[in-house]
Amino acid sequence: MEPVIETFESRKKHMCVKGEGISIPVCDKASLPGTVTQRTCVFGGARIVLMPITDSIHLVHGPIGCAACTWDIRGSKSSREDLYKKGCSTDLQEKDIVFGGEKKLFETVLELYNIYKPGAIFVYATCVSGVIGDDIKAVCKKAEDLTRCKVIPVQSEGFQNHNKTKGHWIGGDALLDYVIGTKEPEETTPFDINIVGEFNVAGDLWGIKPLLEEMGVNIISAISGDSHADEIAQAHRAKLNIVQCQKSSNYVARKMEKKYGIPFIKVNFFGLEQTTNSLREIADFFGDQEMIQRTEKIIERGLKGVEDETREYRKRLEGKTVALYVGGNKAWSLVRAFEELGMNVMMSGTKNGIKEDYERIKEVVQDGTIIVDDANSTELARLLKKYRPNLLISGAKEKYISLKLSIPFCDFNHDRISAFAGFKGFVSFAKEVDASVSSPVFNLASKTLSKVSKTPSNLGGDENAS
Amino acid sequence: MSVNVMERERTAIINPLKTCQPLGAMYVVTGIRRAVPLVHGSQGCSTFVRYSFSRHFREPSEIAVTSLHEDAAVFGGRRNLVEGLQNVATRLEPSLIGVITTCSSEIIGDDVIGFIKTAKDELKKKIGEKKTEKVKIIPISTPSFVETHLKGYDNAVKALVDHVAEPSEPNEKINIIPGMVNPGDIREIKHMLRLMNLEGILLTDISDPFDSPLRPSATEFKPYYPKGGTTVEEIVDSANSSGTISLTKYAGSGALSLEKKYNIPAELGPIPIGVKNTDQFLRNLKKITGQDVTDEILDERGLLIDSMADLASRYLFDKTVAIYGDPEITSGIARFVGELGMVPKLVVTGANNQEFVKDMKKVGKETGAEIDTMVGQDLRAMEVYLKDNPVDLMIGSSDARLMAKEYEIPLVRVGFPVYDRVGYHRHPIVGYNGGIHLIDLITNTVLEKYYEPEHWKLQQ
Repeated sequence: MEPVIETFESRKKHMCVKGEGISIPVCDKASLPGTVTQRTCVFGGARIVLMPITDSIHLVHGPIGCAACTWDIRGSKSSREDLYKKGCSTDLQEKDIVFGGEKKLFETVLELYNIYKPGAIFVYATCVSGVIGDDIKAVCKKAEDLTRCKVIPVQSEGFQNHNKTKGHWIGGDALLDYVIGTKEPEETTPFDINIVGEFNVAGDLWGIKPLLEEMGVNIISAISGDSHADEIAQAHRAKLNIVQCQKSSNYVARKMEKKYGIPFIKVNFFGLEQTTNSLREIADFFGDQEMIQRTEKIIERGLKGVEDETREYRKRLEGKTVALYVGGNKAWSLVRAFEELGMNVMMSGTKNGIKEDYERIKEVVQDGTIIVDDANSTELARLLKKYRPNLLISGAKEKYISLKLSIPFCDFNHDRISAFAGFKGFVSFAKEVDASVSSPVFNLASKTLSKVSKTPSNLGGDENAS
Repeated sequence: MSVNVMERERTAIINPLKTCQPLGAMYVVTGIRRAVPLVHGSQGCSTFVRYSFSRHFREPSEIAVTSLHEDAAVFGGRRNLVEGLQNVATRLEPSLIGVITTCSSEIIGDDVIGFIKTAKDELKKKIGEKKTEKVKIIPISTPSFVETHLKGYDNAVKALVDHVAEPSEPNEKINIIPGMVNPGDIREIKHMLRLMNLEGILLTDISDPFDSPLRPSATEFKPYYPKGGTTVEEIVDSANSSGTISLTKYAGSGALSLEKKYNIPAELGPIPIGVKNTDQFLRNLKKITGQDVTDEILDERGLLIDSMADLASRYLFDKTVAIYGDPEITSGIARFVGELGMVPKLVVTGANNQEFVKDMKKVGKETGAEIDTMVGQDLRAMEVYLKDNPVDLMIGSSDARLMAKEYEIPLVRVGFPVYDRVGYHRHPIVGYNGGIHLIDLITNTVLEKYYEPEHWKLQQ
């Protein structure tokens, strides 16, 4: 069998084609040293899960770089505070490395508390605090006793694991161990839920929340988009958890099921069919006839007009191919949404997939789809060059690799500026995808210089030139 | 006429104005043709910097990493570094690999020089002696818990000249260490050298690697490297130049090292921002090379002065400014706004550096302004200050954009990072042309806020 692309021997099995016998790539292995991996560290994984908590201070206990390169990059919107956007660091120096950074951490926590009186202070461990052995837990405890403000240790030493998923779990553990269950709600209803794994990137939560509220569901907390620590503290009283980003947050939902007996269902608000199914499943779960009827009305109203509003986009996108190379959940949750636009997903891959993730991808993609694990930048460039999709969906680091190969790109990561979730989100999604795929720039970009000079009359629109 | 130095009274850093050493080193290695930065640390150490570069320059950024994990923290990172070097060398066939350490690899005490030797021995067995010798492997020590990204920049340039430069015949060229500036600035520096009929060796030149054309034909080469950058041969040749000018006195170790080892005269700073600083740069060039300032350059100087005369007294005089960012750039801008008759009321830098205080004293003396100077500070300190002492204008990176909005102070974007507007990395702020660009930027920003369109029309 021909390899998917030319690469290191040990990397070949990290790529496969669905339908050709083996359908799941080798995964969850350490990246090859010396490659330009698209992966991040465990600290990064924990930080992105917790950072959307808006009323909290997120304090990075390490040298300045860990905080300086990651503050305010999440793209999570807030309807209230913007405390979560502050970049806070203990700025560990050489003397702290030698004598330990606990005292400095303690002072820093107190200073931040005194300035901001935040809802909570999350303290993130980094590689350095791990290697020098600072007891972050003890410092947090001491600071919490003194301030009566939640000071939460997040044991996210960067090098703990090759897979940032571990960081998501560590972030989840911080919530499970120190936040959830620490406050009782004033009132409860039979229809209390949490939205787990929804980070309100570009305001996605705000596309979903009104639909759910109209159904008659009471949202105790979103974990963790646009939320307050205080709200998450009451999450244990929910009757149901709905999980949007299953990559990062099944872990939290499972643990809450075990600890508090809260059942969970997996939802997906990207795409029409998925949104509709998710709303119905929630209504079915509660089994309340009025809610079921209301839900049908919401769906009917939601779908109405979407077809008209997306017709032009779908016309242009019909038959176009798309490659996904994303951070987990989206590798399968977006597939149907693209099919609804008339596009074919020809490749799906993730940076930190575990076996369960690839099972999900395999389930939803067509035969012949390339599935890749942890493609480094050279491999990604080769995949794009060899298979030339009409669109790449990924994040900021991959964006310019794609554009340099004159392959249209659409952001589905932190830097996204339009909300894509729910019915209205689907229209924005179609619009943005179309804006990328149909941009005339790429007709110019696909010309090589020799072709331009040989056929000067043929400067635009020739699809065959590449 | 005085400078009031304000040091940080807090332990916490809130909204940093600096980052750590490895970022500066990655910037330097990216400016070498067919070179690969190899970060010896956690994946986040390379990934987040790549993200920062991509966000600012809107370009891909190839930075490899040895992917240290827990076992490395216990047993050392030897296997990762040796394997990583082999993978980079065989797969990417680079001209040079800069091995950039991080806090973790520094703390666990990895013997990077020893590991490089082992990797080379292994490589020789694999790909032969000749091919192995073709790849220069340079250790760059950048402990993240010491100083700032500028120190990492400095260490990287020094490591390059120390390991690569070799004396032979004098070449009549001039070495330039540009500091952490933008592609537009580097192009302007090269333009000035051309007008002076001089050939320069940039240590190093990120102008093309961080601003490269979209030409599919170029990406067909295997493996792909962006065009441009300083060649390794040029770095070898830097030991034969007539002199070295570091445009930043905060990162001049490479220049001093060349001076000490090969007797090549070094000049450190200032960055050529504004009239006096650019004059000084040209005088330094003349001093080292004996080359006279050409008429074309004097014309460009005249154009800058002309635009200053057109605009300064009418719109800019006496406007107060808060400037924040890297020490060299902020001090250059403080001097330039002083030349325009504006008042540099507050200058803030994240570095803790006494040289910077001296610089500010000089600017204070020249402008007669009372400059509040913050060293080792963060953006929170600036915010507290502005709350009580509002200014007319802010000049610095995108990181204070929310503050600018909240306090309704217009912001001129300069420095690193700028990610909420486009084009800022393309246009120079150095040299006379950079001065013209900067004065246009500043004046238009001032007009927008302080002069209503109709009014302005009458007054022009």
